[in-house]
Amino acid sequence: MRNIKIFYKALFLLPFVFLVGCESFLDVNQTPNNPLSVPPSVLLPTALAGAAFANGNELNRFASTIMDYNYGAAGSPSGWDIYNTTGGDFGNQWRFEIYGGTIVNCNQLIIAADKVGAKSYSGIAKIVKAYTFALATDTWGDVPYSQAGQGELYTQPVLDKQEDIYKGNAALGIQSLFDLVREGIADLALSSTSNPSTDDIVYGGLKANWIKAGYTLMLKMALQISDREPALATAIFNEVLTVNNFIANNSQNLGIKFGSSVGSQSPIYTWTYVSLFQNDMTVSTGFVNLLQGLADPRLDLLVAKPSGSFVTYQNGFTGTLAPVANRSKWTQTVTGTNGAGPIRLLTNAQRAFILAEAKLILPGVNISQSAQTLFQEGISASMTELGVPASSVNTYIASKGILTGSITQQISQIITQKYIASTGNGLEAWNDFRRTGYPAFPEHLNAIGIDGKRPVRCVYINEEIQRNPNFTPILQSNVKVWWDVN
Amino acid sequence: MKKILLSKILFLLLLCCSTAWAQERVVSGKVTSTEDGTVLPGVSILLKGSATGTVTDSNGTYAISVSNGSTLVFSFIGFLSQEVLVSERTIVDVQLTTDITQLAEIVVTAQGQDKDKKSLGYSVQTVKGDDVSQKSEPNLLNALQGKLAGVNISSSSGGAGSSTNINIRGVTSFGGNNQPLIVVDGIIFNNDVNNTQNTLFGSQPSNRLNDISPENIESINVLKGPGASVLYGSRAGSGVIVITTKKGSKISGKTEVTLTSSLNFQNATGFPKLQNQYGQGLNNDFNNGSSNSWGPAFGGSLTEVTTLQGNVVPYQAYPNNVKDFFKQGRIFQNGINISSGDKEKNVLLSISNTSQDGIIPGTSYSRNSVQFGGNTKLNNGLKIGSSITYVRSSQGGITSGNGGSALGQITRIPRSYNLLGDPFEDTNGKSIYYLGTQNHPLWSTKYETFSSNVDRAFGYVTLGYDIKPWLNVSYKATADIFFDRRKQVLSIGSARAPQGQITEDAIFNSEINGDLIIKAFKDDFFIEGLNASILLGQNINERSFQNITADAASLTIPGFNNISNGSVFTSTAESKTLRRLVGHYTDISLSYKDYLFVSLQGRIDQSSTLPKANNSFFYPGVSVSFIPSEAFNFKSEILSQLKIRGSVAKVGKDANVYLLNSVFVSGSYGNNVASINFPVSVGGASIPGFSPSSRIGSNTLTPEFTTSYDGGVNLDLLNGRVTLDVGYFYSESSNQIFNVAISSASGYDTRTTNVGLLTNKGWEVELSATPIKSGEFSWNISGNWSRLRNQVVSIAPGVTSSTIPGNSFVGISPSIKEGSPYGVIIGTDFAKNPNGERLVNPQTGLYLPGIPNSEIANPNPKWTAGLTNTFNYKGISLSALFDVRFGGDIYSFNWVDLRSNGQLEITGIDRDKPRSLEGVIDVKGDGSSYIPNNIQISAQSYWGALGGLGSKSAVFDATTYRFRELALNYKLPSKLLAKTPIGGVSIGVSGRNLFFYAPNAPGDPGVNSQGAGNIQGLDLNGAPATRNYGFNVRITL
Repeated sequence: MRNIKIFYKALFLLPFVFLVGCESFLDVNQTPNNPLSVPPSVLLPTALAGAAFANGNELNRFASTIMDYNYGAAGSPSGWDIYNTTGGDFGNQWRFEIYGGTIVNCNQLIIAADKVGAKSYSGIAKIVKAYTFALATDTWGDVPYSQAGQGELYTQPVLDKQEDIYKGNAALGIQSLFDLVREGIADLALSSTSNPSTDDIVYGGLKANWIKAGYTLMLKMALQISDREPALATAIFNEVLTVNNFIANNSQNLGIKFGSSVGSQSPIYTWTYVSLFQNDMTVSTGFVNLLQGLADPRLDLLVAKPSGSFVTYQNGFTGTLAPVANRSKWTQTVTGTNGAGPIRLLTNAQRAFILAEAKLILPGVNISQSAQTLFQEGISASMTELGVPASSVNTYIASKGILTGSITQQISQIITQKYIASTGNGLEAWNDFRRTGYPAFPEHLNAIGIDGKRPVRCVYINEEIQRNPNFTPILQSNVKVWWDVN
Repeated sequence: MKKILLSKILFLLLLCCSTAWAQERVVSGKVTSTEDGTVLPGVSILLKGSATGTVTDSNGTYAISVSNGSTLVFSFIGFLSQEVLVSERTIVDVQLTTDITQLAEIVVTAQGQDKDKKSLGYSVQTVKGDDVSQKSEPNLLNALQGKLAGVNISSSSGGAGSSTNINIRGVTSFGGNNQPLIVVDGIIFNNDVNNTQNTLFGSQPSNRLNDISPENIESINVLKGPGASVLYGSRAGSGVIVITTKKGSKISGKTEVTLTSSLNFQNATGFPKLQNQYGQGLNNDFNNGSSNSWGPAFGGSLTEVTTLQGNVVPYQAYPNNVKDFFKQGRIFQNGINISSGDKEKNVLLSISNTSQDGIIPGTSYSRNSVQFGGNTKLNNGLKIGSSITYVRSSQGGITSGNGGSALGQITRIPRSYNLLGDPFEDTNGKSIYYLGTQNHPLWSTKYETFSSNVDRAFGYVTLGYDIKPWLNVSYKATADIFFDRRKQVLSIGSARAPQGQITEDAIFNSEINGDLIIKAFKDDFFIEGLNASILLGQNINERSFQNITADAASLTIPGFNNISNGSVFTSTAESKTLRRLVGHYTDISLSYKDYLFVSLQGRIDQSSTLPKANNSFFYPGVSVSFIPSEAFNFKSEILSQLKIRGSVAKVGKDANVYLLNSVFVSGSYGNNVASINFPVSVGGASIPGFSPSSRIGSNTLTPEFTTSYDGGVNLDLLNGRVTLDVGYFYSESSNQIFNVAISSASGYDTRTTNVGLLTNKGWEVELSATPIKSGEFSWNISGNWSRLRNQVVSIAPGVTSSTIPGNSFVGISPSIKEGSPYGVIIGTDFAKNPNGERLVNPQTGLYLPGIPNSEIANPNPKWTAGLTNTFNYKGISLSALFDVRFGGDIYSFNWVDLRSNGQLEITGIDRDKPRSLEGVIDVKGDGSSYIPNNIQISAQSYWGALGGLGSKSAVFDATTYRFRELALNYKLPSKLLAKTPIGGVSIGVSGRNLFFYAPNAPGDPGVNSQGAGNIQGLDLNGAPATRNYGFNVRITL
């Protein structure tokens, strides 16, 4: 009996003994669900897709609406259609596509790549990052840059001035976007322990094309600041022209590719054909009229006619709309076939138009070709990419490819053609419009906005204002950004 | 190691207390009940002034060694204690009288300890099984609504099997679980919801306490605040609900069989009244694609219209097109309960079944459970007890929420749309609807389905041994394990997934606890009248969870609802967690002469979820109960008992799993507008992609703590005819482990850290009275009132507000905000002048753009109250519960949608008359002078201006006065049954939610579409509430 009691006592003490003997019992807090570190090859696709979403998703719909590509029939686009935009817009773009998307992915990619000496990846990341920061500052003006995307290091990053972002500011430790691109190009020239292949959903690992894209990005950014900083812009143009290694062929376009299956499709396609919100926009009458006025063969390639004729609306229209099935949307030429994209960030046509304009406005730029030659090169590149037959291209260029009149009138022609070539990239058209005032569309019907005029910047998102005291002052959508001189 | 040493010392201390006693002879006897003469097993018999004692056996007999002149103290739960002088007798038979007042006073507290309520220094509220069973309500938490002070219970909807949220004394954790710990028969019982879908769009699963049928409840003890619950550890910081199911321990010697059956009906209720004068369209024009009812008036020149499908149909009102979408639900419940044995040796078998057809077509809920258990005492004195319950519950539901669901569409049915009369699908199974991009609600209920099938087993094994009469050791192992197999089908053609999508979730959850408990007691400890008891315990806890998601998108074969029908599987994923905790706890209770009770508790936890350096934490509690009426002997006929109580306690809480590291997640971009999920398929290759998780981890986390203070007065008046309990509590929760919002420009969304301070304070009043008790008639009143004030005192340096983790729309963010109560909704308020008047745009007559980041709604009520009146006459019992929820807001997307769409009744009133928005115009545009707005606008513009997502105008006062429950029962006279084997029969009718009055809301505010969790006060296209009524029968053999 006594033994039994001791036995029971011992039994009850067992758990104590067990604990002392089992130190690892509590050592179970390593997550089996997520990796703590990942190789560059899985960070590159997310960095690239983020840039595509930043450029091709909601911000593109906003810019395409105010730039008369599209008419806002319902939902958010109907507000943009009358120029209304507030800090309630683009929170997802800022948070998940730009800073929490491509920027942080690029930063992590650079860290992961540098750790293993995979310089190709670092180089691509720097170019994509520069493109995205340019997008952010062109859209919002002063934005977090030098302290952005670095997590715990800066939980409330400061606003860097747009001027400092483009030009750099050594005193403040701000690297210029041009230097960032230069660094990327230099990285791409170095030997790399590993190189991208299919994970590069732009060029499939062709480093030479990334270098061309880097130089083309420098041209785009130089033109963007050319009104404000003509001397710096001229110097950059000449630097790039000297190297003479930019996108010069449609096959070298920086277009981010997607896939045709659900969950892999380009945002423009999903919005246009799949989304619940697909009927919130139609193509704008302004766009159709512009192309009809030019007898442009691209019109039928870009805009669908489900009822046999164009059913579009003038921006700002408030009356009763036709049945949704009859309304004109973008064709798959714009959206990419079955969603496969690409989302075009930099194109050969764009590069030609940039050079054409630079030739006219920056006298110090050493461009051998005439503005007209470059203008025609741009039109041809655009038409060829869309599949316009060569004969039609030649006919069109013969009548519409001649620059005439004053410099201003010639710029109007260049920007108008660049606008048509940029269909699907509303932000780029908006950038050009703010810089040049072209294409000169009338203000929208029933326009409200702040002053009844097209917005010239976006308002900082509410979440950021709430979370970061550095966001001041809060400028409305009618205040020009730094490079927007006139 | 230190802890083990401590427990060893305590153990030795206990041993020192045992003393040898002179024992001279043996007396024996039998203990029976005065009421019916039945024998009472398990009666405790103590030799007064000693620690010697015994208990009666199953025949009610006992034997004990005594000396002449000894006094024996007979005590038994539910009976008045009796002291008997032995004198020269050798046989002492005793009859014990039932103690009516004491019956309700014994409560089950932490770690299964039965305690006399008057000894408790903290607040405990008890609900009897009869108060929740046979009340037309299959969800136990819903059945508790209105019956508890200081407890906020909100059901998400009347959908079959939908979840219910419960918070005791407010929210104490910014981002953690704030649901109380649920303990069922000593088993820590999982009550999670485990959302597998986005709560804004997905399906609403049950809270897992739904696996317990209200019909199986013996009693529920609510231990409020941490003071009551130090012994249960971390999770008890939000209070504890101790549920005791019906089992055999109460019965004495005989076999009892109870059969219960009930049938109830359910109807949707609380849907706002709609207008029937104007049909589909805008600006008084008909438009067959519009979801608005701003079209022409009925009875005018427009008599026929062409639908989107090209059919010519009459233009008329369909007054019941929305109302009749909801059908009558039915709940059928049956149960049988067989128990036999006595207090020490008994056995129980319980089987119950619930089957419910919901109010929404295609929805259902069923629950089948079998419980088997028993206790015995072996010859060598070892006590063994065990119980195991198997539950299978199935929920058949639909997808809900905003956009692309039946419930998302039901607020957008034009008044002239023949929703139920016309076919909703064509011969190919394609939806026919007035909106091409959406689905007909009936199509959705048929082709967008959700099911959850839970197989759950929970049970315990206990071993107990009385080493000495004053020293008991026991070990209890409990387990709660369930599998939940969920399936969501979005058929081809679904608005949300036009190519179809099937998602299977296999969820496994288990919690295992082992508790070693050593109990000792000693009367007349050092001084006469001072009784001491001590409990030492050790808890080993392991919780594991796994969710394997198989996701098939882009389906090929219509109607083939199998994963293999998909062609894209990129959302397939696995998530697994494991956490462990080792706790050591003690409870030392001292009582002095039945009027002063002091109890000290302490617990040390070691948790796997905290960094190793900080993973061990201690927290103590002390509570005092003092009964001046006994101490100073001033009790009278009027004042039967006065009790004053107070307690202070601190409860520590560990972190959630895996918060210490920053990790990478499989990448994705976009939302319901356009999205991609990695791996993506590009050019025929599958491309994986990862991104840093939006949360930054921290390896310096320390536990969070809640310190609470609780005090109260309890008055027993007129010999128990009136009891009044008034309590006050205050708690401070600090060092919260929270994912604090950081600037998105950092590249991340949140950072896990220890921050903040949250306080709760409140008053609770419980009153019960028997105004009339004459002959066979009695009238009882039981009421409760409570008010709670919760405040987020601070969050983190530089952070004044942060979003509560969970799904929410941009611009309607349930948040914590410095200086505001927990869970306020941050959205867009009207632009106002300094006098608080709304500013109107002088050009348009509409409101100026609103002010974002404003606090627009506070879902917390100012006070709540419940009042139950019960009338008994002979075998008839009638009880009625009314409750009030006063103040607090609800953000209703439903109502504002119905209003801006021109459907709500109010939008039909004087529709053709222009009107002006309430507000002022800034005359000079510089804020120097304002005039009242007099710009006339149309009814459509007027109500449209009061619409819109994320705006203040979608916020309504949720004050509700409700006739919650009515039950009428008739117990057949036992004479009638005397010659049958039937012991008792009771039949009844009951109803729930019979009437409500919400003065400032167009519908019933008693809904919350986000289900159980920290996000409250939102109705984003959820199912409506229901009214239940039916009848029931209970037969005892």
